[in-house]
Amino acid sequence: MRQLTGRQRMAAIVLAALGVSFLTLDVGGGGLRSAHSGVRGTLGSLYRGTDAVLGPARRFVQGIPSAGTNRSRIAELQHENAVLRGRVAAAESDRRTQLRLAQLQAATAGGYRVLPARVIALGPGEGFDWTVTLDAGSSSGVRVDQTVTDGAGLVGRVLHADASSCVVLLGADPGAGIGVRDVRTGQVGIATGRGSAGFTFVPLDPNALVRVGDVLVTGPTGSTTFVGGLTVGTVSSVRTSADGATRATAQAAVSPTGLDLVGVILVGGQPPKPRPALTPSAQAHR
Amino acid sequence: MTRARVAAALAGPFTAMLLQGALVAPLTMWVPVSLPAVLVAAVALVDGPATGMSLGFSAGLLADLGSSHPAGALALSWLGLGLVCGVARDRRSVRGDTTIAAVACVLAAVFATLLLSVVHARGVEVWLSVRGAVPAGLGDALLALAVIPVVRRLLSTDVLRARPALDAELELRAARG
Repeated sequence: MRQLTGRQRMAAIVLAALGVSFLTLDVGGGGLRSAHSGVRGTLGSLYRGTDAVLGPARRFVQGIPSAGTNRSRIAELQHENAVLRGRVAAAESDRRTQLRLAQLQAATAGGYRVLPARVIALGPGEGFDWTVTLDAGSSSGVRVDQTVTDGAGLVGRVLHADASSCVVLLGADPGAGIGVRDVRTGQVGIATGRGSAGFTFVPLDPNALVRVGDVLVTGPTGSTTFVGGLTVGTVSSVRTSADGATRATAQAAVSPTGLDLVGVILVGGQPPKPRPALTPSAQAHR
Repeated sequence: MTRARVAAALAGPFTAMLLQGALVAPLTMWVPVSLPAVLVAAVALVDGPATGMSLGFSAGLLADLGSSHPAGALALSWLGLGLVCGVARDRRSVRGDTTIAAVACVLAAVFATLLLSVVHARGVEVWLSVRGAVPAGLGDALLALAVIPVVRRLLSTDVLRARPALDAELELRAARG
C-alpha cells in the first residue's frame, strides 16, 4: 500500500468535486444535453465503423448457442463438403437475417412503414443502461419515441436519434413502463422491465383475472407511445397479494441478447427540435 | 508528460469504449463486464494513482456522456477505481494484479449503481448490480488477465514510460534556460 502525496490528494478532491458538479448539473436541469448528444453522435458514427470490422466476428460468436437447435439444417450441412462446413456460421446468420426481414416486411402489411436497422453496439455503461445503438438515424426518418420491433415482438423505443445512428431504450429496462393489454381478457395494465428477468405486469384493475400463459401486447392504441399490437411477453407466474391485488411476471417475447436485425416503425415520434432562428438584436439596428 | 503519453491516454479509453460497445457488451449482455474499467485499473496498477485517477475520470466522463444516465457517475466511480488500484499497486504478479483489478472493478460498478439510484436515474436497479457482482468479477478478471500484460508491456516502452519527477523537473529547467 502506498500513501498519496499532497498533490495527488488535492487532485483527487478536485476531480471528485468536478464529478459531483457534473452529476448535479445533469440531474438538475439537463444542462449537459448538448454534450450527451455530441458524444453519442460521435460514438454512434464510430460504432458503425467498428461494427463493419468486428460485426461478422461478433455475430459468429453470438450464433454459436443457437446453431445446434436447427437439426434439419445441421443434417443438411453434414452432407456438404469441408469448404462449405467452414461457412456454416455465416450461412446460419444469413438465414436468420432473411427470416427477420420477412417478419419485418410482414409487419408493414399493417400499414406501417418499417425501417430495417442493425444493432451495432450496446450502451457503453456498466450494465445499467439497457440500450442498443442502431445503424439508422434521423436522415432515414427515425425520430425520438418511435417504436422498435424485431418483426413480432416489442424491442423498445427510440431514445435519441442522430443523423446516422440512434439509441434505443429496450423494453427490458427497469425504468421502462409499457402500456400493455392482456389479449385473453382485454385487461390493460403496466408492464415494467426487470432486465434479464422479463417483465412485471400490474393490471389497472386490481381484481383482473390474469392466468399463466396469457399473452401481453402493447396497447391500447393512442394511450401509449408504442405502436399497438406488438407482443411484449407471456405471463409466467401470477401472485395475488393479501389485499387481492394481482401482480404477474412475464417472460419477454424478445431476448435482448439475440438482437441483430430490427425494424424501426416510422410512425409517431417527436420531430427534431427546431433551433431558434437568429434574429438581429435591437442594438444591431442602431 | 510526453506527446506519446497524451496520445495514448486519448486513444486507449476511446478504443476500449468502442470495443466495449461493439464487441464485449453484446457478447456479455447478462454480465456487466467493462473493458474501459479494466483498462483504467490496469493502467493505475502499473503507473500509480495520479495516472489512474486522471485516466479514470476522463474515461468515465466519456462513458457517461455516451450513455443515457446522468453524467458524473462513472467519472466518480472510475476516479475511485484508478485511485484504489494506484494505491494498491505493488508490482506483484499478473495474477495478483488481476485479482485487485477484478475486485476494484466490481466495487466501482456497485458504487456507480448506488450513486445513480440515489439520484433516481432511470432504469437503475441495485439488486441487478449486486446479483451480477460475482459473474461480473469473474468476467472482469478474465479481461484483466489479457489486458494487464499488454498494458505493462506498453507502459514499459521508452516512448510511454512515465518519467521520474526529478528528470522531468530538470528537463523543464533546462528548457527554460
